[in-house]
Amino acid sequence: MSEHDIAAKSAPQLNDEMLSSLRPPTWKWYGLAFFLGAVVAWGTAAFTYQVMTDMSVTGLDRPVMWGIYIANFVFWVGLSHSGTMVSAILRLSQANWRRPILRAAEAMTVFSITVAGLFPVIHLGRNWVVYYFMPYPNQRGLWPNFRSALLWDATAITTYIIGSSLFLYLGMLPDLAVVRDRSTGWKKKVYAVLAMGWRGTAREWVVFRQASTLMAALIIPVAVSVHSIVAWDFAVTLVPGWHSTIFPPYFVIGAITSGVAAVITLMIIIRRIFHLEEYLTPLHFDNMGKLLLVICLLWSYAYFVEVQTTWYAHEPIEWEVWSFMSGKYTPWLILMLIGNSVLPVAGLCFKKIRRSIRAMLVITLLVNVGMFIERYLIIVPSLSHKNMPFVWGTYSPSWVELSVTAAAFAGFTLMYVLFAKFFPMVAVTDVRELGVRHTDVKLGRAEVHSLTEEEH
Amino acid sequence: MKKLTSPYKWGMVVDLDRCTGCGACVVACQAENNVAICGKKEVAEGRNMHWLRIERFWVGEYPNVRVKFLPVLCQHCHDAPCEPVCPVYASYHNPDGLNGQVYNRCVGTRYCGNNCPYAVRVFNFHDHEHAWPPPLNNQLSPDITVRPRGVMEKCSFCIQRIRRAKEDAKAERRLIRDGEVQPACAQTCPADALVFGNMADPLSRVSRLARSPRSFRLLEHLGTHPSINYLKGGGREHV
Amino acid sequence: METLGTFKDVETATKAVDSLVKAGFSEETITSLTSAPYPDGVIVKTDQRTWFRWVSVGGGIFGACAGFLLAAGTAYVYPVQTGDKPIIASYPTGIIMYELTMLFAILGAIVGMFLEMKLPPRDERVYDPAIGEGSIGISVTVDSREQMSRAGKLMEAAGALTIRH
Repeated sequence: MSEHDIAAKSAPQLNDEMLSSLRPPTWKWYGLAFFLGAVVAWGTAAFTYQVMTDMSVTGLDRPVMWGIYIANFVFWVGLSHSGTMVSAILRLSQANWRRPILRAAEAMTVFSITVAGLFPVIHLGRNWVVYYFMPYPNQRGLWPNFRSALLWDATAITTYIIGSSLFLYLGMLPDLAVVRDRSTGWKKKVYAVLAMGWRGTAREWVVFRQASTLMAALIIPVAVSVHSIVAWDFAVTLVPGWHSTIFPPYFVIGAITSGVAAVITLMIIIRRIFHLEEYLTPLHFDNMGKLLLVICLLWSYAYFVEVQTTWYAHEPIEWEVWSFMSGKYTPWLILMLIGNSVLPVAGLCFKKIRRSIRAMLVITLLVNVGMFIERYLIIVPSLSHKNMPFVWGTYSPSWVELSVTAAAFAGFTLMYVLFAKFFPMVAVTDVRELGVRHTDVKLGRAEVHSLTEEEH
Repeated sequence: MKKLTSPYKWGMVVDLDRCTGCGACVVACQAENNVAICGKKEVAEGRNMHWLRIERFWVGEYPNVRVKFLPVLCQHCHDAPCEPVCPVYASYHNPDGLNGQVYNRCVGTRYCGNNCPYAVRVFNFHDHEHAWPPPLNNQLSPDITVRPRGVMEKCSFCIQRIRRAKEDAKAERRLIRDGEVQPACAQTCPADALVFGNMADPLSRVSRLARSPRSFRLLEHLGTHPSINYLKGGGREHV
Repeated sequence: METLGTFKDVETATKAVDSLVKAGFSEETITSLTSAPYPDGVIVKTDQRTWFRWVSVGGGIFGACAGFLLAAGTAYVYPVQTGDKPIIASYPTGIIMYELTMLFAILGAIVGMFLEMKLPPRDERVYDPAIGEGSIGISVTVDSREQMSRAGKLMEAAGALTIRH
């Protein structure tokens, strides 16, 4: 729907349509929530089994001491770059087509970083003493070791969870006021507390707009640092195949790839489920597709550089790791390259494909499949063939680890499903602002649809 | 901040020309340090708990096959890669030059195990604490803990023996004499291939052997500065 | 005290503002209440300057100090030798300082924003839920009851749907 159509609809009608997800839940919603809850419960049971028994229920061994749990961790942190990057970059560049997408993207960030933050606890051998990580005055005479990259992880993820939650909440503030005005009973009380007494005075809007811009500017460096720090978990070690300076930028690019693709997938899903066809139009997918094309090109470049330097210098142990990986995991490697590189770059060059919802769904799902494989192929093969050949080993995930992985995906989706039921899924006031600024200007012989924008 | 110094810098020399690969050192280490007895299944899973392993390499084609033995244990690196990566200081460097592992502090992130290039760190994937049914538990050494599940462990140069020797020496107001403290592996080796002592003392047996022209270190290019020197004679005829 | 009039569109709202200004109410006491933001001056002119970002700067400075104390300070007070790394290591200290700077800058931005908006309100402020559905509210801050009723009458004349006090 163009700005002209938005301007043509009345505000109550726009509110109704964009807030349609907040209607009382149908049996389909309950069914979905129940199914997802069951998968989460199963994964929790598997994790409890692991904690009560021992770590032998995983597939880990010497030398592969990190496996699919850490692949999950990196993947989910990567996915959390979706909201920040999409939302912040588009806000700062003042791209108007961002408006219906923002909320979904920001919510995705908060939920995926929450899921990511669970995995450092899940993969511990002694989860019950995880509080040793926390810096607080104690009688042990010991503080945590800040020289360890894992502590940088803990700090960065804490910062990012708080920052992205506040970013999501800030964006929602005026929308929460709209929802508050439309609800009754206990819901009204809750929304009233969340809306903090927002009335929409001119002064409030001025401060709000400047705060949004400041937050967008602050959250981008945090996002870049978070995934760089996760990359340093690997890059600062002596493990062949990990000790590479390209890891931080490579991981950040991978995260943005993963995130942008996930936002597009999500847009397709919520468009269908909440009947937002008029708000998430082929134009939005076209533009997001262009963004995805650029970032997939960057990812391809980074991967090419990494393999090319390994091949050329041919350092024995590094080449051994690459040969082992490409030999043992060939089908996965090919699937990853097709999903992350070949298919998006080839397909997204064409406007017809970018505007086709079906094609975009396939492409973006394959991108994220490829990204998960990429995380796994970074972690496991390097550990399998380290410096001492006598202790080379293999790894394959056990049912416990796969259950927890499934529960992570289900948990993320469940949080999303719950969020969509109670909070506005589309940035209502942001979209309505388009209607406000739209005018038909008579220029010469035509009436031109235009959007007013103040000069700065 | 007082800098901690010590008159000792424990080190070891492994003479590969003497090693017969008998494995007595492995058994002695297991007996001394309450190392868990793993079955065939655990070893096949890659979860054996050996603090000291004898690596075996076959050289040549039949009938001219020879075998090389390489005992690998914690190298007690002076620039240990396993130490800075532990988020809770369970792995640290003590003033004697040993790499210490604090079992009750270990949270089980296994980062140290990943970063050790020699892969000498072992993790308690299984619950070995309760794998000593009576009367087997009578053989446990009281000087050292039995590690619970979820904890990393590795060779400590028999730190419990070093502590004992230090206490005895302190009572007699002297330093530990060369050869007085022997880790279990060095004590047991029938070929006298393992020599342990104070590298800070230039006259100790281990220091003199370390100055041999046959001396080399494992993975020296990584810059870990291990405390263990290996001795191997050159020439193609000698394997 | 505030008088709030709700109007169904921009035209009637601006007519009301014009008549209020003509009747002697200063523009600083008049503000609009909308659920979608309007460009400055379309309904009322507002001061665009804000000070909340200084709270963010303050937060950032606090975070930098906190990060230094956490990474370098605790390592100094409880020194443990790990590898070849110095007790106070430069890169880790820098990284932790950076993260905490950003965290407290973000917290400062939010807190500062709410402080400047004076939210949540400590007293009851007049509001009309129709504003959420697209109506435009015009609020006049007055000192006396008779000014309140004068403002109310002016807005009614301009076409207000409801008047609240």
